[in-house]
Amino acid sequence: MHIPDGFLDVTVATLTYAISIVFAIYAFRRVSSSGSRDRLATASVLAAVIFAAQMLNWPLPGGTSLHFVGGALAGVVLGPWLGFISMFLVILVQCLVFHDGGITALGANLLNMAIIDVFSGYYLYRIFPDRYKAVGAFLGGWIGITLAGIACGVELGVSSQLPYGLSITVPVMGWWHFLLGVIEGAITSSAVVYILRRSPHILDTRR
Amino acid sequence: MVSRKTILIVVFLVTISPIFGVILSEAVGYHEPLDIVAELLGLEDRTEDTNWTPLLDYTFPGLPDTVGYIVAGLIGVTIVLVLGHFLTEILVRKNV
Repeated sequence: MHIPDGFLDVTVATLTYAISIVFAIYAFRRVSSSGSRDRLATASVLAAVIFAAQMLNWPLPGGTSLHFVGGALAGVVLGPWLGFISMFLVILVQCLVFHDGGITALGANLLNMAIIDVFSGYYLYRIFPDRYKAVGAFLGGWIGITLAGIACGVELGVSSQLPYGLSITVPVMGWWHFLLGVIEGAITSSAVVYILRRSPHILDTRR
Repeated sequence: MVSRKTILIVVFLVTISPIFGVILSEAVGYHEPLDIVAELLGLEDRTEDTNWTPLLDYTFPGLPDTVGYIVAGLIGVTIVLVLGHFLTEILVRKNV
């Protein structure tokens, strides 16, 4: 899911950077005017947990791997704007400190994992009534990562760097994330159910 | 403040992470799917030339990969928390 340097052309890299920067400015302003210190602190702590969880990379025979991304979980727990900030911290540190995800692809990686995954996860979760929150979190995690994978496929397909067009990159990235995304959904749902039982106040995204 | 339980969860995750990120990875001969694509296309891997960080791909200079992965993980978690703290201060102060 983390796009390295060299896979996006200048147009796609610039465009995705522009979207992510505008989005980040808006999110920071919004959180600054409505967010409390407590909620922001929770966002940083969740970012640290997601960062650690992302290090558990499950390699699968056949040359791919699976790791929890956590965008939908951040959206569900924190609401979409603080969820963005949480994922922003994770992806920024991964890129700048560990070169995990390219510096030219930072905009695209933020767009996929900190915006698309977070918002789709959050809104899918929201449409489910209280008694079906576990299902909502599952679908949020699953569909969130699938949409992020499709977006990643679009960015790679549109870029002239790769000879593969959209007709290849989108189905490959989409299907793959759709299949593996079931596990993202299961982890997201388990984490949300756990928090709902132990400390439901954390999930109050109106604050 | 970060609760003790959260710290335990994070330390636990980072401590077991090399099992997945390093040991199993080597066992199944894992390569990033996009790196494989690049290889198929005959593109040159220039990561080393353009690299700016001593902690490339969760390693730590001079340490074996497994231990380095844990140390890198703990450094990463710490930087996330410190950045988060500064961001919190900036955003909350702007609000006042």
